[in-house]
Amino acid sequence: MSDIATSPNTRRGLILFFSLLVVFLYAPIVILAVFSFNDGDVSFPLAGFTLDWYRRFFSNPNILESLERSAIVASISSLIAVALGVAASFALLRRRFFGKSGVSALVFSPLVVPYVVFGISLLVIFTALDKFLVSSTGSYIGLGLHTVVIGHVVVSLPYTVLTIVPLLERLSVDLEEAAKDLGASPWQSFRRVTLPLLMPALVSAFMIAFTLSFDEYAIASFLAGETPTWPVYLFAQLRVPSQLPQLLAVSSVVLVASLGIVLAAEIGRRLAERRYGGELRPSA
Amino acid sequence: MATTREVTTTDRAWRRHDRRGTVGLLAGPLLWLLLFFVIPVAFVAAYSVGAVTLFPTDTGVVSLASWERLLTGGSVYMSLFWKSIRMSLTVSAVVVLLAYPTGYFLALCVRRRKYVLLLLIIAPFLTSYLLRVLAWKVILGDAGVINSFLTTTGITDEPVSWLLYSQFTVMLVLAYIWVPFVALPVFVSLENLDRSLLEAAADLGASRFRTFVRVTLPLSLSGIFAAFLFVFIPTIGEFVTPLLVGGTSGYMFGNSIQDLFTKGLDWQTGSTLAFFLLAVVAALMTVFGRFLRMRAVVQ
Repeated sequence: MSDIATSPNTRRGLILFFSLLVVFLYAPIVILAVFSFNDGDVSFPLAGFTLDWYRRFFSNPNILESLERSAIVASISSLIAVALGVAASFALLRRRFFGKSGVSALVFSPLVVPYVVFGISLLVIFTALDKFLVSSTGSYIGLGLHTVVIGHVVVSLPYTVLTIVPLLERLSVDLEEAAKDLGASPWQSFRRVTLPLLMPALVSAFMIAFTLSFDEYAIASFLAGETPTWPVYLFAQLRVPSQLPQLLAVSSVVLVASLGIVLAAEIGRRLAERRYGGELRPSA
Repeated sequence: MATTREVTTTDRAWRRHDRRGTVGLLAGPLLWLLLFFVIPVAFVAAYSVGAVTLFPTDTGVVSLASWERLLTGGSVYMSLFWKSIRMSLTVSAVVVLLAYPTGYFLALCVRRRKYVLLLLIIAPFLTSYLLRVLAWKVILGDAGVINSFLTTTGITDEPVSWLLYSQFTVMLVLAYIWVPFVALPVFVSLENLDRSLLEAAADLGASRFRTFVRVTLPLSLSGIFAAFLFVFIPTIGEFVTPLLVGGTSGYMFGNSIQDLFTKGLDWQTGSTLAFFLLAVVAALMTVFGRFLRMRAVVQ
């Protein structure tokens, strides 16, 4: 049987191309990991296997603190982003209101706004706020993890909406109607019917927002102040060559963890969507 | 009787809920975006025309002077802007050239495990951006992986210095970063292609090449265009990659914004540049935004 899209030669060429691309994509990551186990500088020849860099990073308070800060920022900003994302998804899908296309454009616009522009915008507004507070009350708020959280919620929000909307779209309105007919209040119907069914999307939205925030450098670099998050700390330490192997060790751990989290989120979301697809749509 | 009353109470609660609900649902997200996104950006616009003063050096005179300096008389920032545009265009073109065969292969040649292979390509995009740039710094540096390999094996005596800190490096790394992401829109557009059209072309005697040029390629143009924009828009404002691997020759427009805010402390010029960049992106989105069907890509 001959294929209509590709001749055998084209097919072989494409397989080769695809394999080379996979090598190109993964080789740098693998090299990063290899040198985190290398007993020496980050250069050839390899000097032997060691776990020393991992041991050092686990006893380096600066690294651990920055990782902890990032975990805190990511947890809080993702929770807020998911909560706001649920509200926005319901409004956009289940309600009619004036100016809907404008609202939807606003919610998605952080996807295309350059992070450097958004970062400095928040820097300017918080500086202005502090200046105002100092002149009127003599105290000020300053930059810190709270300002990073505020920024990360804005950039995570469109991703949470994009994750929640497809599943919410498949949840039939009939279920809410049924809850209503059985005498449930709006809150009860949301809490007992919609929310549990929406849970897979909420979990994966949280995980996507979490990894986005945990890794985010551009915005955090303007807003972290004296409390560097992990990417900000990493960036600053890159100037110190002796620190590099240790940083590669942390990086490898972070890479593997974030890859695991995101893949789990993606697989979970697709499974849930497939499962609901048939059952929850009325006659579709 | 009792049931009727119950139902009406529920009905009333739901009607009240529907009316107030919309406002309640929108209040949170809109308030957050207004306070921490719209107002700050508007503030930057105001700063750029001197309507805001934060530092003693700010003039406090409302004028378009900083915009005039940026847009007229061959300003250094404008030439930097055009350089960034050229770099972003090159990167976008290279990325599309790499992503198209990948998407084509996955959509039209692979039958089983299609989505596993797609995930294999996309997965790197989901890991740390900063670490993937760092990996290239480690690979290309003077004492890095490639140079230490070249010198210890005796292929070259001196490390090849242009590997790191050049415009080429910035474009290489940016292409590396964006290929996985962009394979997706190309794949989606080819996957949704009606296979019977290809069969029809074959039945009518078209060669595979002719079928590709006259049927497949035109039908996947929207995917190609979306892919192009998906790379172009975020890379115009790029500053992290040039900072890590660009040196002075890889310096981009985004770097000058960052420098004006963190090193030069000329926030008014910085605000002008930032708002200019935002206006360019907004204009691009207004003209081409309809090609970016975000939802189609995510599902």
